[in-house]
Amino acid sequence: MDPTHYLNERVDVVTLYRKSGDVSTLCFPYKMKYKNEEIIFTELCLRHPTSKGHRMIHVFDVGDGTNDYRLEFDAEGLTWTLVALLEGHYEPRD
Amino acid sequence: MNLEISKEEAQIMHIDLNSAYATAEQQAHKSLRGRPIGVTNRISKHCCVIAASYEAKALGVKVGMRLDEVQQFIPDFIMLETDPPKYHHVYQALCRIMKDYSPDVKMKSIDEGVIDFHGTADLHKRPLTEIGMEIKERVRKEIGSHMRINVGIGTNRFLAKEAAGWHKPDGLDVIDFRNIKKYYAEQQLTDLTGIASHFEARLNAAGIFSPMQFLNASSDTLRRLVFRSVIGEDWYQRLRGYEVDNVITKLGNVGRQFVLDVRSADDSVILPRFQYLCETTGKKLRYNNVDARGVYVWAMFQTGDHWYVRKMHKQPFFTDRDIYAKALYLFNQRPKHLIITAMGITLYKLEPSTRSQQSIFDEVNKQEWLTTAIDEINERYGNFILFSANALEGKHKVKQKIPFGGTKYFELLLKRA
Repeated sequence: MDPTHYLNERVDVVTLYRKSGDVSTLCFPYKMKYKNEEIIFTELCLRHPTSKGHRMIHVFDVGDGTNDYRLEFDAEGLTWTLVALLEGHYEPRD
Repeated sequence: MNLEISKEEAQIMHIDLNSAYATAEQQAHKSLRGRPIGVTNRISKHCCVIAASYEAKALGVKVGMRLDEVQQFIPDFIMLETDPPKYHHVYQALCRIMKDYSPDVKMKSIDEGVIDFHGTADLHKRPLTEIGMEIKERVRKEIGSHMRINVGIGTNRFLAKEAAGWHKPDGLDVIDFRNIKKYYAEQQLTDLTGIASHFEARLNAAGIFSPMQFLNASSDTLRRLVFRSVIGEDWYQRLRGYEVDNVITKLGNVGRQFVLDVRSADDSVILPRFQYLCETTGKKLRYNNVDARGVYVWAMFQTGDHWYVRKMHKQPFFTDRDIYAKALYLFNQRPKHLIITAMGITLYKLEPSTRSQQSIFDEVNKQEWLTTAIDEINERYGNFILFSANALEGKHKVKQKIPFGGTKYFELLLKRA
């Protein structure tokens, strides 16, 4: 029904910053370490800001070619959290 | 009155995001693209689809269908819960793009807006169809490659909206005096924005069964025979491409309602939820910087009966304590033996706030300061962090929903997200 797995776990993330380009791609997570596995992101699907009280949170919806991940960067606490994972496949259903 | 069809050049552009919430989710989650998905406020067996992807619509899913109904014919149907900040981001990005073309932009709801190009011809010096194509391209580039919009161009807001819906999804159409009759000839009465079954029945009773007959009806027929009010005159002009919908509506009331997660007649279940509804309604009231004088509370019972009571007060009020006290007094008059399925509160007779005026009564000032302090703390820490202890269970159960129609509470909603 809902393929989302909520994890809410702090993760190590390598982030890329570009000096120019569209605002949506100036900064994005390149890879993360989760359960001793390195996951390299191949897709930045959507980035949007939100807030928790006065704390600015940047939400990155990214994909590794198989699964989708929701990562949140807390701009005040400087932490990365893997909020959710969607198991999926990229081919449209029959 | 006898009006020709407007010969004005089409200057109104209506932009409509295709299946907005579902498409935004598909944009965020690539694995969901090409699959039948829906979005709802709170997933449960009986929850209903508030937005469906085009793939789901193609399989017969309609907005308002219950999840268990949909799963009967699409077993692998995916339902997600709404994510307001995500939609707000898309909404803001769309607003930003639209405002690049004219200072007169009005968002009609979270997923549609109108650009009025009157007076900007010297600025653009190119046809609106070209601008429409450019906006489509910018939406794909600046919001997301999966995002699609319908663009409609017309001489008034009504025709622009009709044009936006003519060839969905991803359409771009112009309706003006050259093709307006062709458009009406292809439609049914209820295809027209603003004509649902009730108005259709009125039109049918006057011998009008198609949009072409509607167009050919005289102003007098529509005003006296069909709508029996000035609405008929508005329709006469609207159908011919004259603008009658560019009006600003005044805030008439604020309120909230809740379909109970547990059907019950027990005060210990109902009152925490009711108090939370009152407190969040108070927040809306203060957000609009108005005070209220009227309270209206209602309940729906398992028997199918509907109950309501209202009361007007001499003095305006705005604090959570006042709102709850007045609403509770009314709510306690309900038939208490009946099991409630849904309930709500509405504050009406709104007037500009007098909060900057200090009262001569210290007790009144203290209430105001307390309310202001609570609002400021909630503003700073978000998530409605401070509220009455009695409303604790209500806070956990009453979830904030995505606003339909106007977007005036979107900023307020996000502070709680």
